[in-house]
Amino acid sequence: MALEEEQKPKGGVARSRLIVRLGAFLVSHNVFVSVVCCIAGIIALLLLPVLAKNTYISENALMPGSANPAFSAQDVMEANRFVKDLIDRRTIEGTGIEIPRLIGQHMAGVGAEVYYHKFWPHKNQFHPLHFFSCAPNTVTMQSNSSCASVGVNSIGIIRAPRGDGKEAIVLVTPYNPWKIELSEALSLGLAFSIFSLLGQVSWLAKDIVWLAADSQFGEYTSVSAWLKDYHSPVFFSESGKMNVDMCYEYNSHQDWDRITVNWANANAFKRAGTMAAALVLKVLEKKERQERDSLTIYAEASNGQMPNLDLINIVHYLAVHRQGLRVKIATIGSLLNSVWLRSIGEIVQRLCRFAKSLDPRWKYDITSADYVEGSATLASSMYYQAIGVPTGSHGAFRDYQVDAVTLELSPWFSLKNENSQSAFLLRGGRLIEGVIRSVNNLLEKFHQSFFLYFLTAPNKFVSVGVYMIAFALLIAPLPIVAVAPFSGKNKIRLSTDKGNQRPGNTCTDEIEITIGSWKWLHAAKVVFMIHLWAVIVLLLPYFISQIPYISPTTSMLVWVAVAISALLIVYLILGSPYSSDCEWALLKSIMIAAAFIGLGLMSIINFSTAQIGALIVVPMCLMVRPLKRHKEVALCTRVMLMACNLVLAVMGSPPAALLILKGLSEGFGRVGIGDFWVWAEFLWIWNSATYLYLFLVHLPCWALYVHILLHP
Amino acid sequence: MTRIRCYWGWVAAAIAFRILLICFPKNLNLGSRPEVATPLTSLRRLAEGYWLKQASMSPYAGSMYHGSPLLLSILGPFTITRSEGQPAYFYCSLMFVIVDFVTAMLIRATGQKLMLKCHQSLQFLNLSKLVEASGNVEAGNFASLVFLWNPLTIVTCVGSTTAPIDNLMAVLAIYGACSCLAPLAAFGWVIATHLSLYPAILIVPLILLLGHGPDAPPLKLFQQKNNSASGSSPSSHSHTKSTQTGIQIDYFSWRPVLHFLLWASIWSCYVLVLSSISLKGLGGLLEMFKKTHGFILTVVDLSPNIGVLWYFFAEVFDFFRNFFLIVFNMNILFMLLPLAIRLKHRPCFLAFVYLAISSMLKSYPSVGDSALYLGLLGLFANELAGMQFSFFLFCGYIGVSLLSPVMHNLWIWRGTGNANFYFATGIAYACLQTVLIVESVSTMLKYDRMLRKHITT
Repeated sequence: MALEEEQKPKGGVARSRLIVRLGAFLVSHNVFVSVVCCIAGIIALLLLPVLAKNTYISENALMPGSANPAFSAQDVMEANRFVKDLIDRRTIEGTGIEIPRLIGQHMAGVGAEVYYHKFWPHKNQFHPLHFFSCAPNTVTMQSNSSCASVGVNSIGIIRAPRGDGKEAIVLVTPYNPWKIELSEALSLGLAFSIFSLLGQVSWLAKDIVWLAADSQFGEYTSVSAWLKDYHSPVFFSESGKMNVDMCYEYNSHQDWDRITVNWANANAFKRAGTMAAALVLKVLEKKERQERDSLTIYAEASNGQMPNLDLINIVHYLAVHRQGLRVKIATIGSLLNSVWLRSIGEIVQRLCRFAKSLDPRWKYDITSADYVEGSATLASSMYYQAIGVPTGSHGAFRDYQVDAVTLELSPWFSLKNENSQSAFLLRGGRLIEGVIRSVNNLLEKFHQSFFLYFLTAPNKFVSVGVYMIAFALLIAPLPIVAVAPFSGKNKIRLSTDKGNQRPGNTCTDEIEITIGSWKWLHAAKVVFMIHLWAVIVLLLPYFISQIPYISPTTSMLVWVAVAISALLIVYLILGSPYSSDCEWALLKSIMIAAAFIGLGLMSIINFSTAQIGALIVVPMCLMVRPLKRHKEVALCTRVMLMACNLVLAVMGSPPAALLILKGLSEGFGRVGIGDFWVWAEFLWIWNSATYLYLFLVHLPCWALYVHILLHP
Repeated sequence: MTRIRCYWGWVAAAIAFRILLICFPKNLNLGSRPEVATPLTSLRRLAEGYWLKQASMSPYAGSMYHGSPLLLSILGPFTITRSEGQPAYFYCSLMFVIVDFVTAMLIRATGQKLMLKCHQSLQFLNLSKLVEASGNVEAGNFASLVFLWNPLTIVTCVGSTTAPIDNLMAVLAIYGACSCLAPLAAFGWVIATHLSLYPAILIVPLILLLGHGPDAPPLKLFQQKNNSASGSSPSSHSHTKSTQTGIQIDYFSWRPVLHFLLWASIWSCYVLVLSSISLKGLGGLLEMFKKTHGFILTVVDLSPNIGVLWYFFAEVFDFFRNFFLIVFNMNILFMLLPLAIRLKHRPCFLAFVYLAISSMLKSYPSVGDSALYLGLLGLFANELAGMQFSFFLFCGYIGVSLLSPVMHNLWIWRGTGNANFYFATGIAYACLQTVLIVESVSTMLKYDRMLRKHITT
């Protein structure tokens, strides 16, 4: 756009297109624009709890609470009997087989189809190409796994009298058969009583699947193993499956016989159509006393995916308005007491009051306490989405596009008190029954409500249309600053810089321009090489993790050492990193363009990661300037810029940032270099896209930042 | 003149890189990406068609295969030969690597022809200082390397599609016309048209190439030059004849054009005969036209791709469908004539513009089409050196090519997005191509204007 202006005399400027002129205007005021946009972006982010709207049920077919619950005291008694049975078996040897068998027996007792699903714990491996493939890899069975580690899920299916067997609702209760606790037994009992009730009702239009998941290897593993087998049929010719069977028979041949005798076909995998929704049930005894029974909802699945908001809405509606439970979602506790957040809350409260006095139709009425709580909830919501690791076994369902939530019920008294235990079970049972009844009414998949949202309270949400504004404002300066070196005034300065360096240059104007318009290619080469280096760093853990018997600290040191030597090699290939044809301004603009593309992409894959990353990357991109070029400005500004740059350079590097954050929260004594390795391993085991972001967007951006800072 | 260091090393590296990639088809799984494989070019569909044909059924049965019957005979046997430990379609992929190499070499040869002509005409216009001053690059080498190392080309080559063959034929036609080999040009044009229909519009630049010779500054400049300096400089043009009076006029020579047309009709008859032999008893030519060219023109398959037509025709009411089919297909034809008049002195560049336009407006576009026109764009590196928005276009192409798979994943696999998400990237891609075409054409015209300014001053 600048070229046009340069080629024509001043009168000709008016002739260029309006959009080009607007762009040029923005670019010429890029410092002002970027400061304003960044501040606006941060303010918009802080205002999100104020802008949150009340949730509403948008799918009409759900009709929550339209029917009276049929779950009665008799069902509670049944649950109690089952719990007692389970607790009695606790002392018997070999509960690992006994309890699934017992559950299976009870399931069959209410007329359900029963089978057992055996699985090996999925061995998590680093596989760089599997980050986005939701179709799971079929060959996960490791032939060298030990035979002892086999889990057994017991599954019961109630066929709906009014259904066509094409849809199902899944109920999951994770428990550990080797060490069953009272709370787990209670959750099993609750699920069983609901299951037996549903076996009798006539309104059922979707099959009910109850998965009693063996959680001895973790809750997620068993559920995901079952889901994988559910969605990708394994034929008996395949060796892996056979191995499990053979292995199991070898291991506990006699125990197993007793089950298979009772029901023929107890090992054949049965299915029940596509899943409309899944509920993971847990009972947890809380330490602190509370005035009412409470329900905690966990919804975050892998890579920041959320279930459809309608599912959370009906749970919340039924829990609050029918059963009188106290509904909670996770918050970050330390934020609740933080002074600065409270002071922001005060300001926001005053502003809201002021806004309301201007126009009473603006319903931004929020008290300081509400604001603090909303922010803490929003922060935790963002944190769990950003890490990209599911908060429970419901995450496994989201990989198959099934909406699922974990419902964690906790009573307000001790679980041992039998009287109030019955009341608690009654409430829980009615809630689950109501939710299942609503989902049973569904005609289509959940699609009406939001998939992309944050919760600031159980009944308040921020939709994608609102939170994207904050993000867009934050990254809006990036493209503007990126094109600045190509625009009018800066362009002239660039070419005069060049003229000073090589005074003997006597090209005509046009030729100067023709070279100039492609000069960014040199800088692009540097940026490309740095990104290539980042890809190498990204893949290194795969090779390092192959080395046996290596401690996290050593792994981390090896990783860093290889990464730095790779960087040196890259520099050797590039020749001198600071060659004269690669100007820092162009390098900065290409770096910003790359960061912009990366952040934009990440905001689609996992918004929270992008939002948190942008808070670090955007200042880095905007502030960067070679340290030696600061002489032009006044002393105090220079000192301030230097300080900012140094802080950013330290905080921007992923390991340092993690270690400092960890040190601040847990004390520096317990922080070691290996922590970063452990954390990175955690991320890639869960196929978190945050790992990719960290190494493909953040790391190259930081490396280029340091590169430009050290530019002569 | 800046030379490209170790050109052959880069070429060898590009080929080695492709061969490395085709050893991991399972991990990349590019053949199932809608951006790479279209219903017309997918090799998996070709294998299906071949299987049907082996079972003595029409390869077009079941709306799976929509390519040429000749490809079926050539590539079909390779799709089933498979030796131990080698990935599927290994031999086909190897063939596509060779095809890419040949295409690159043809682009290089075309570039050298263009450079030669450019130097001659600039020398004739006494503007050789311009050549030296502007840091000239060897267009042929540069363009072939751009073609070989373009990620889009690599993806097309590795992604088991037949698009590399379509591209080869289009380039072959341009090369043949540039070097005045009418039979070769006719062959390339006929086969390219037969394979994917849209290269039919290349007939305009091909005729101009054969008639006028490769790209040169506008004719008026030569006339001006002759008027001012009454023909003192020696003429070295390949197709212009300097008459005794020294006035040099670029005659439009009809002989090669007629040759071309004759050969084109011979080749098309030949192709039709071969096709009918290949389809004997399995449906015949009529079905072939209906299922290949008819399939292209009527936009039957509405599965998502990076174009914009699928979304539109999925939304449009049935009774308007025919009307909009006519509108969209005419859209390409409307632009032919004005461009041909304005750029008649630069037929190769005209061919590039045509290919870019058709890749933007065609019914089943893929990244293979962009690979072709971006490769040809390299041929005009010297003329387009002053192009605006180059940085913007570069970032845009990178952004869109990364965004497209992510949006597709969001829509198809995660279920949190919808068709609009993916269509948005399609629109962004079309906008980018529009900006590229507009900017490159205006830069070319500006370059011609600059030449005139240098001559007049």
